[in-house]
Amino acid sequence: MNFDFTPEEQTFADEVEAWLVENHDPVVMDHHRENFSQLSDTPERRAFMKKLAAKGWLGMSWPKEYGGQEIEGVYEFILTEALARHAAPQIGKGVGIIGKTLIRHGSDKLKQEFLPKILSAEVEFAVGYSEPQAGSDAANMQLKADKVEGGWNLNGQKMWTTSAHFAEWYWVGARTDPDKSKHNGISLFLIPMDHPGLEVQSLPTIGKDTTNQVFFEDVFVPDDYLVGVRGRGFQYIAEALDLERFTMFTLSPITNRTQVLVDYAKTSKRDGKPVRENPDTRRLIANIVTDTAVSKALSTRFLCAARGGGKPPTIPSSQYKLFTTSLSQRVCDEALDISGAAGTIREGQELAPLLGRFEGAYRATMNETVGGGSSEIQKNIIARRHLGLPKNF
Amino acid sequence: MDLDLSEEQEAIRDMTHSLLEEYSSVEAVRIAEDDPKGVPEALWKQLSEGGLVGVLIPEEFGGGGLGMVEAALIYEEIGRAMAPTPHFVSGVMSASVMLEAGSEAQKLAWLPKIASGEAVLTPAWIEPERGYGEVGVQLEAKREGDDFVLSGTKLSVNYAGVAERLLVLARSEDGVEILLVDPHAEGVRLTHYLSQSGEPHYKVDFDGVRVPTSDRVGEAGNGWATWDTVMHRGIVLLAAQAIGGAARCLEETVEYAKVRVQFDKPLGAFQALAHYMADASTHIDGGRVLVHEAAWNAAEGRSIARFAPMAKLFACNTYQQTTKVCAQIWGGVAFTIEYDVQMFFRRAKELQLSWWDTPYLEELIAADVLD
Repeated sequence: MNFDFTPEEQTFADEVEAWLVENHDPVVMDHHRENFSQLSDTPERRAFMKKLAAKGWLGMSWPKEYGGQEIEGVYEFILTEALARHAAPQIGKGVGIIGKTLIRHGSDKLKQEFLPKILSAEVEFAVGYSEPQAGSDAANMQLKADKVEGGWNLNGQKMWTTSAHFAEWYWVGARTDPDKSKHNGISLFLIPMDHPGLEVQSLPTIGKDTTNQVFFEDVFVPDDYLVGVRGRGFQYIAEALDLERFTMFTLSPITNRTQVLVDYAKTSKRDGKPVRENPDTRRLIANIVTDTAVSKALSTRFLCAARGGGKPPTIPSSQYKLFTTSLSQRVCDEALDISGAAGTIREGQELAPLLGRFEGAYRATMNETVGGGSSEIQKNIIARRHLGLPKNF
Repeated sequence: MDLDLSEEQEAIRDMTHSLLEEYSSVEAVRIAEDDPKGVPEALWKQLSEGGLVGVLIPEEFGGGGLGMVEAALIYEEIGRAMAPTPHFVSGVMSASVMLEAGSEAQKLAWLPKIASGEAVLTPAWIEPERGYGEVGVQLEAKREGDDFVLSGTKLSVNYAGVAERLLVLARSEDGVEILLVDPHAEGVRLTHYLSQSGEPHYKVDFDGVRVPTSDRVGEAGNGWATWDTVMHRGIVLLAAQAIGGAARCLEETVEYAKVRVQFDKPLGAFQALAHYMADASTHIDGGRVLVHEAAWNAAEGRSIARFAPMAKLFACNTYQQTTKVCAQIWGGVAFTIEYDVQMFFRRAKELQLSWWDTPYLEELIAADVLD
């Protein structure tokens, strides 16, 4: 049992930390974006991603033959958390679900076309799984892929494609085999985002970033842009989701937020009395700090289960996601309670406590308990696959 | 970073598990409930001979000389088995007070006996209508020549009926003292009363009890500092105990939910119930790692000023919440003595209220963070 990083891991953590301090850029690293900095499309962010790539920090866990370092996942964890701590963009879907799926299941052609570009941060992806009728029931996707000469013809609609308005490539699940069972009739495709017949419509949110719906009208995809084996798409998606769950919901923004709240309570006054002396405030903060330590414990659990490159640790990852996203929202909620009436002032104005950090975060984090598999879906996974309870839906 | 147990740690856990399975069966636990002695003799003998009572006592004093991580593993098993034993009051709290502050002579006199199970020592700390902090210790220790004269009342003195000495927290003109007192001395009166868990609790009245100053453990007025240090380690083990109890209660409930049918479906197929269990498992699995982290930090000699209260706060809340939702799943039978879930339910609440309760733990954490 050991709760410290190894000396090598610690050296890497120190190196990343020093590099992030040195490369601080207020446009790219904005704490008011919480952990969604990767969703902001600015030239500065793209330049920052290229710098990360030049450091060799994209795809560290990939096999050497594809340009990776075959390094333990813990290094990616250290990097991811450090980026989040500095409110810098995450390493992204390309290195994560898309790159890793291509490495495991992609053709040589797709590997050669995409993997180098992912490692050099020259390509941005959008991911299209959800549809109007496929939310939590992700396998219910109906986007039609009809077999035609030399490829596939796609028609239908996707929902919640967050990066569609700036990505170059679209990673999309579509139904190629409507006669097969719903989990076995889906295939994955790669499509240029500017393809004729694709229409991206913005869907504004109460967070800082827009999401999108994407409409497909006779979008032709050549055969060799179907990823892996026809009909195996849903299995690939499920496999990769285990990775996404962890990297999408880093702990550092919550730890930051908790620290900001603690500093606020220590320095502000209400009716002339220090806020930190209020017994309710003390109680709330004691429990937030404790639950933050539990989140960290659950992430340690995930990390240790993932060591040695075995199966994706589905259960620890679901437990971590369930607990941490709920805590994330609670920190914002209770911070607003502690702010009182001033908590209602919209983010970004001088009048707001902490420039409205918590007001903004309260809105921005609403999606965390829904996106990437809702809390209820996580509970179903834990109930069935961990506790062995019968199928319940 | 790894959560793996060493072979030795696994062996200790497995040995404790099988020992308790045999000597702390549910039947044995039920018999011990409400008994003034409260500990099955065979169980105590096995714990002592197996070296488990002396786990934290160095080998030079006849103990096992193991660390906090090993002790936490033992305590998770104690929690699972609901083991009725004065292990905590004697082998953990009293032994640790001795180790922390005792004179060489006191250590030699008591630690080997504690380790062998020959003597049980138990702290007498809590007072009527007083709280868990230093100010709560008001039992008078008046200096008269070479003696302290004790007057006042203590509550929640666990296992006093089998104790050879009490470790009494009392207030002298110098501050809080910890004094070794023979429960059979003149002026000491023990009254057994029933507790929620069924563990033996005693009210102890002190009426002009004379204690030689040589029976003070530690420097004059330094008792609270000693107690506070020892408590921080102790509550990490109680947190482990809570995790063990919660884990077993949940396991038994999950098995029941697979076979009990209502509306033509097993209970576990109802999401309302399955989600209770999924939440509980998340809290238990996360809480266990937090407890291990606290124990590991203590073993490494690092501060546990924040970890220890966080571990007990979270683990005891988890135990209490788990038993509450488990009772919902068992339904009406949970309310009957015949079924076991009520045994966890009562113990969870008692553990949450004992040895620093929720408000006290929250304040310890808040003070560490905010002040």
